[in-house]
Amino acid sequence: MVENRPILNILTHAVLILGVLFLCFPVWMALVASTHGAEALSRAPIPLWFGGQGWDNYTQLLSAGLPAAGGVPIGMMMMNSLIMALVITFGKIAISIISAYAIVYFRFPFRMGFFWMIFLTLMLPVEVRILPTFDVVTRLGMLNTYAGLTIPLIASATATFLFRQFFLTIPDELVEAARIDRAGPVRFFIDILLPMSRTNIAALFIILFIYGWNQYLWPLLVTTEEGLYTVVMGIQRMVNSGEALPVWHFVMGTAILGMIPPVVVVVAMQKLFVKGLVESEK
Amino acid sequence: MATLHLNALGKTYPGGVTAASEVSVEISDGEFVVLVGPSGCGKSTILRMIAGLETITEGELSIDGARVNDREPGERDIAMVFQNYALYPHMSVRKNMEYGLKNEGLPKAQIAARIAEAARTLRLEEYLDRKPRQLSGGQRQRVAMGRAIVRQPKVFLFDEPLSNLDAKLRTQLRAELKALHRRLGATFVYVTHDQVEAMSLADRIVIMNAGRVEQIGTPMDLYLRPASRFVAEFIGSPSMNMLEGRIGADRASVTFGQASALSLGFDLPGPAGHPIALGVRPEHLHLAPGGAGGIDLAVQFIEQLGADTVVHGAVPGAAGPLAVRLAGVQRYEAGAVLSLACSAENLHLFDAETGVRLAADAV
Repeated sequence: MVENRPILNILTHAVLILGVLFLCFPVWMALVASTHGAEALSRAPIPLWFGGQGWDNYTQLLSAGLPAAGGVPIGMMMMNSLIMALVITFGKIAISIISAYAIVYFRFPFRMGFFWMIFLTLMLPVEVRILPTFDVVTRLGMLNTYAGLTIPLIASATATFLFRQFFLTIPDELVEAARIDRAGPVRFFIDILLPMSRTNIAALFIILFIYGWNQYLWPLLVTTEEGLYTVVMGIQRMVNSGEALPVWHFVMGTAILGMIPPVVVVVAMQKLFVKGLVESEK
Repeated sequence: MATLHLNALGKTYPGGVTAASEVSVEISDGEFVVLVGPSGCGKSTILRMIAGLETITEGELSIDGARVNDREPGERDIAMVFQNYALYPHMSVRKNMEYGLKNEGLPKAQIAARIAEAARTLRLEEYLDRKPRQLSGGQRQRVAMGRAIVRQPKVFLFDEPLSNLDAKLRTQLRAELKALHRRLGATFVYVTHDQVEAMSLADRIVIMNAGRVEQIGTPMDLYLRPASRFVAEFIGSPSMNMLEGRIGADRASVTFGQASALSLGFDLPGPAGHPIALGVRPEHLHLAPGGAGGIDLAVQFIEQLGADTVVHGAVPGAAGPLAVRLAGVQRYEAGAVLSLACSAENLHLFDAETGVRLAADAV
């Protein structure tokens, strides 16, 4: 198709650039705000360019934390968030891929029944089942533990459906060839199925990592000890500073820090994801 | 190297559908046996039962005298080549060939030696480190064969391995397969729906229809003495002409409709008036000198194939079309009438009701 419409080109680019600016502006504001002091942010024209306190703000956040918000260093919260996000991600992927393997490749009674039961968990997000889940976690003594923070979020095989659909597209002959090549069920899973699912796993990793990282309500419920706070919770606690002046520069700094890991994951995995999409062939 | 013994093999699915029944074949060491038949005739089911991919519900299968009904595919010492190649897409050609050997626990040096040899045989040396997706269809199928060869199995199984290739490549790979069989001297069982493939490759053909064996024999047995109407029409291209008629009053002729009759000059088995089908191959009909042939053909259209010409038409009085294959380039207008003749030994008589060959071979 020949396209020679200069005015339209300019117009579409203008819309595009406007959109990008619109989306990036809040991030820019956060970044700028995190380099100022508290007073500069409480005065009328909010600064649009960097201030001189960036270094001090970030060192205090990372090393000491805020006394008003419990004094937990952001580094520690980030570590908690990272542990939670990674455990949820790996746990969900592992459970989903194994259950999809069972449902697609093995004949057992009530196979479809189990599939639909798993599928139903898609309709029950954490928020819906939060009270019973909290009750269970309490009785199991898992409050204020990493297990309590992660296991209830793992226990929904969201990605089972996705893996099942993918496994169904793998030709039966491949399974048969593997059987003739003396590969038992475990070998077939590890040597053939896992490598072939690599791109699906990458895509899910991105989605689930961000899902885990952004968890807010559940960590708020099950953790009361400061050592288990996550970044997303931390931000909320900083804003709730009571009578004192809100410490916007710290809040914004924490937000910026909290954004980094998901961005890193997306950027790093995107390559594998796109590569897998381009090369995909069965 | 092994013998294969199929004893009244059958497959009935849980739903009650019978895919194959009473299939008995003795395959001797180093034989190239082709299972052929139309789609749904049960030939693939038989092959998959030999492979162990399908459970055997009736009968017994033995390899080298040992009953293998209940053995896993990996324990039967067989190798299989699939129609869609079934190569592991994420592994290089070398890894694909290695995989089965690794699972067998063979020493590395031995694996490497076998792969080198198979790659040389199949001219795959320069592709060993490529992924299957970087290869053409013919190359992929050669890799699939390589994966089978390195296993050094007792029996090689092929499930329509050439069906996904274009015509030229198919002919080429057919020759390679034949050469491979000669070099390895192994037992081959090959499934195809293509009778040309069956004729050109097989030592013996097992022709199947509706889950049953119609006939087992060498390609020439099947061509020259088809045991049933089905075999007669399946083998040969263009397929055998069938003229439906009845045994004449003198029991030495066939009557078609009311008017025409064809005198055969020998006695037919069966009572006068019994419905029969008279078969004759297009290539066995020839123009009768001086128009004194027994069969008149009203030309409808012709197919020019270069080396020969197939003339399609109808025999007045007889139901059904008739084709004749004449050597060289021939030109006939539609509507022309040819007088054709055929020698008696090239006539095949079948019972029109049961399809069984009539013992008119007293000729």
